[in-house]
Amino acid sequence: MSLADWGHAEPYEDVSGEIGIVGIGEAAYSRASGRTSRQIAADAVASAIEDAGLKPSDVDGITLSMVDTDFDAAAFHEHFGTSHDIWVSRCGGGMTWAATAAYDAALAIRRGDAKTVVNVFSVDWASKRGELVGGPGHFHAEELFKQNLEVPFGWFPQPVYFASIARRHMAEFGTTTEQLGSIAVACRRHANRNPLAVMRDKPLSIESYLESPLIADPFRKEDCCLISDGGAAYVMTSLARARDLRREVVEVAGVGLGTSKTGRYWAQQPDFTATPQIFSAPVAFAMAGLEPCDVDVLTCYDPFTIVSLMQIEDMGFCPKGEGGRFVEGKALHFDGGVLPYNTHGGLLSHAYVLGIAHVVEVVKQLRGESASQVPDASVGIYGGYTGPQASTLLLRRGGA
Amino acid sequence: MREGFPLPDLQWEPTREYWAGAAAGELRMPRCTACRRFCWYPDGNCRGCGAEQVTWERMTGRAKLFTWVVLEHAFLPQYGRDLPFVSALVALEEAPGVRVPTRIVECAAEDLAIDQPLEVCFRPLRFAGVDGEVVAPFFRPIARLSVA
Ligand SMILES: [Zn+2]
Repeated sequence: MSLADWGHAEPYEDVSGEIGIVGIGEAAYSRASGRTSRQIAADAVASAIEDAGLKPSDVDGITLSMVDTDFDAAAFHEHFGTSHDIWVSRCGGGMTWAATAAYDAALAIRRGDAKTVVNVFSVDWASKRGELVGGPGHFHAEELFKQNLEVPFGWFPQPVYFASIARRHMAEFGTTTEQLGSIAVACRRHANRNPLAVMRDKPLSIESYLESPLIADPFRKEDCCLISDGGAAYVMTSLARARDLRREVVEVAGVGLGTSKTGRYWAQQPDFTATPQIFSAPVAFAMAGLEPCDVDVLTCYDPFTIVSLMQIEDMGFCPKGEGGRFVEGKALHFDGGVLPYNTHGGLLSHAYVLGIAHVVEVVKQLRGESASQVPDASVGIYGGYTGPQASTLLLRRGGA
Repeated sequence: MREGFPLPDLQWEPTREYWAGAAAGELRMPRCTACRRFCWYPDGNCRGCGAEQVTWERMTGRAKLFTWVVLEHAFLPQYGRDLPFVSALVALEEAPGVRVPTRIVECAAEDLAIDQPLEVCFRPLRFAGVDGEVVAPFFRPIARLSVA
């Protein structure tokens, strides 16, 4: 099977060095809190604008999710008491869009549609959980091919999809439960050091991981992400303007997006143990003029341990199939690991805010502000994932 | 959610033949009449040649175990009564590139092995708290020949 049989890279123009991230903001991350997604978004955006040293009226662009975050231009004006023109794109937010929002913002700024753009994502799924069939599986339960061909057989929801992928990865490549566990343990250790993380007070050793019950064998609960309320935002502007603002410049060095032909039907993806990161990462690295060996810190959209393991392989940090051996032991830890990874705790242990906090964490690392700081981090990368697509965002301290 | 969920909707056109086949004791798969490619899931024109015409053909029912999960947690309350059970994807002998979601029966979970040979069997599918039942294609290990 060749790569072309199952997916492709989206054609992206070179936007390297055009914009930077100049402000980050976070709303509280929590279990069910009663907050609405709009309130959470407003908190995050206000905090990001303040961090950048800007006023709300300076922000003339918003990128947000097409589904979850309800914070459009009208909500922005209502919250901040402003009335200026705002360019809005619904191709932003979290997951893959936490990366590709930077691409859309760069093009909007190049066109002159906006000067300063905030990307925001917020979610209140912990509070809303009771309304959802199968929790975050709700969307999949409503999809009619899944409803009529998968759900009747128990092939539902996401923990079952990804435990199936993990089983096949184990069979093809010799990946072990302990290796998956080392990913969960690294995330938890970072969360334990992060006062903002939902799991800050709950330690996890590899021994306790191995002793915990299976929920969807080969997965344990700790292979699966949290369900949370929370959100974050980041502010982007031209690199020239970024240099006049108060924060250290974090340059958008490269962006990529890859697509799988089989979409959301994980069962039918020809290369069952890969992600579209195979298509996305090379685009971002080429745009940035960087290689995997240049990366100081990685964050991956990590709904399940196996998704990070596959993205680490597919981004080129190790050959396909070697991911299990690559992540063993302390390899992903912030202090001395070969590839410091999800240093905020990730979706597994920080909060399930669908990747927006992953980008914020990379920015913190490049500014030297992380709770688990990698010494002298100058290049960071985020791998976004939805299943049908994967995205890559390369950030660089300072800017050329 | 639709009444009867998570039983399949036997009237939903794209998969109606799949469930009608099961009721008749046959495993049927959709195939492009022009290029003979399997169109699975049957969500529109043939992905190989673009033709619209699809026919449903009877399969031998032999397959290999592509991957599986042992469900220990009730992700839907309706799954609860059956726990633990094995949910799997199997690759059909005639169509190894497509994967059929199913349950594996007549085998202890610890005895399953990747790529092991399976055969289809038809069993009533029922869920706690849901009226009715539907005959569904499950898979089981191909019985070893007994030495007489
Ligand atoms: Zn065809």
